[in-house]
Amino acid sequence: MAGDKLQVTFETDGSLSAPLTLSYPYNRTLGTTYARFLSSLADRRIEGTKAQDGRVFVPPAEFDPSTGAPLNDWVQVGDSGTVVQWSWQPTPFADNTLDEPFAWALILLDGADVPMLHAVRASSVADMAVGMRVKAVWADERIPEITAIRCFEPVGG
Amino acid sequence: MGANRCAVVGVGQTNHTTVRADVSIAGLVREAVDRALESAGMTLADIDAIVIGKAPDMLEGVMMPEMWLTDSLAASGKPVFRVHTAGSVGGSTAIVAAQHVMSGIHKRVLTVAFEKQSDGNAMWALSVPTPFGVPVHAGAGGYFSPIIRSYMRRSGAPAHIGAMVAVKDRTNACKNPYAHLHEPDWTLEKALETPMLWDPVRFIETCPSSDGAAALVMVSEDVADTMNVPKAWVHSTAMRSEPTMFAGRNQVSPRAGELCAEDLYRKAGITNPLEEIDVCEVYVPFSWFEPMWLENLGFAPKDHGWRFVEDGVTEMTGKLPFNPSGGVLSTNPIGASGMIRFGEAAMQVMGLAGEHQIDGAKKAMGHAYGGGSQFFAMWIVGSEKN
Repeated sequence: MAGDKLQVTFETDGSLSAPLTLSYPYNRTLGTTYARFLSSLADRRIEGTKAQDGRVFVPPAEFDPSTGAPLNDWVQVGDSGTVVQWSWQPTPFADNTLDEPFAWALILLDGADVPMLHAVRASSVADMAVGMRVKAVWADERIPEITAIRCFEPVGG
Repeated sequence: MGANRCAVVGVGQTNHTTVRADVSIAGLVREAVDRALESAGMTLADIDAIVIGKAPDMLEGVMMPEMWLTDSLAASGKPVFRVHTAGSVGGSTAIVAAQHVMSGIHKRVLTVAFEKQSDGNAMWALSVPTPFGVPVHAGAGGYFSPIIRSYMRRSGAPAHIGAMVAVKDRTNACKNPYAHLHEPDWTLEKALETPMLWDPVRFIETCPSSDGAAALVMVSEDVADTMNVPKAWVHSTAMRSEPTMFAGRNQVSPRAGELCAEDLYRKAGITNPLEEIDVCEVYVPFSWFEPMWLENLGFAPKDHGWRFVEDGVTEMTGKLPFNPSGGVLSTNPIGASGMIRFGEAAMQVMGLAGEHQIDGAKKAMGHAYGGGSQFFAMWIVGSEKN
């Protein structure tokens, strides 16, 4: 930004305005818990952490939100699950994993105790329902990112 | 004051370093928290309320990280309070936590402050090119260097004073296992050969960029009296602030800092700070702020702060050691830096400072400043009840 010429607008009431575009690079360091979750996605496995009371967190919790205990007990959960809540996305953005209208859904994966947010590819709003069963569709590229799961698709009836 | 007594019974900090890629922000915070709780012989379940501080959210680009940390600190159902006062925030946060206890509302309070500088770039986050303003693009060093130059001109301080402070702090840091920089071989000659970054500030006279966190456990008197652990009693706290810019502002010795120190000493019953305080952990991110704060805090007469440095008054063996931990010049996880000062002051009167312990320290000062030398937070802690 340094050296850019200031683009001043002279308003009719005598005031002045100029744009401020703030662009700034950050890093993200995940730590080992989130890194293991995402690395397992690259291997097409979905893993979560298990608390002492038996609850399984997917995505994983680093610490038990009830007791604060560090969670290091890993379990693999299913790549199918149940939609517990959803919202329709009629106009996808360029960086969404789907080009056509789709649903954002909270999906309770089989074996997990907290739902995970992801995209569901459905042909229309009418195909979406709380309680519907969905299954993960893996992306072609094996990457340690949440988009290693391209989306979920309805299964069964 | 009418306030209830409050004691620090737990101090914890991370081993500060450039990049902690092995932990998330929550994991970093928990390292300091777990160490503080362990030293207090407590667990998260014992805690009534949590006070969290860090420098502006823009530094890591995580907005309101205290929300994220809630689960990681098992804080559901407990009061959580976030403090924002720029670089002084670690000190302000400790004071707010102390007030949670001194008010009589909570008995066992955990406070934590942190910065994961490697997730962003603090220098440039603090230099937003706002339209219609002067595009300084200089970061904190560029902001403070003309103020330092002004101090040198008005006090007549010789140019090597800043390097003397830097060599002292870097040498002290070698006695502190938690310090970021461990550089034992500095001499004044070598220090004066380091590159000039922002005239008159040389490379060695500048703080590093650190990832780190610090945490304290503070309890009420009735709880403290039942605990068989070292304690630091909070004798007084004070905070003051002033605008960055106004006509006639004394940028070298801000009035807010002078008033803050006066209030701090009055509440602690201190009439001669140089004689009564044994050791200070003072926020010195650029070396010249040591002589400047010596004057601002009333330890040295005006324009004489640099003579204290030259005479070795602030060495570990001197009359008033400044930053035996190595200070901000050796470790700077910005949001945590103030709390490290407050915690190190507590460790001195608790007798827990290890190799950088000042023998027989009974009263210690913790100090933090932030913004454009505009936010001040200070406390006095003692080995005896106030």
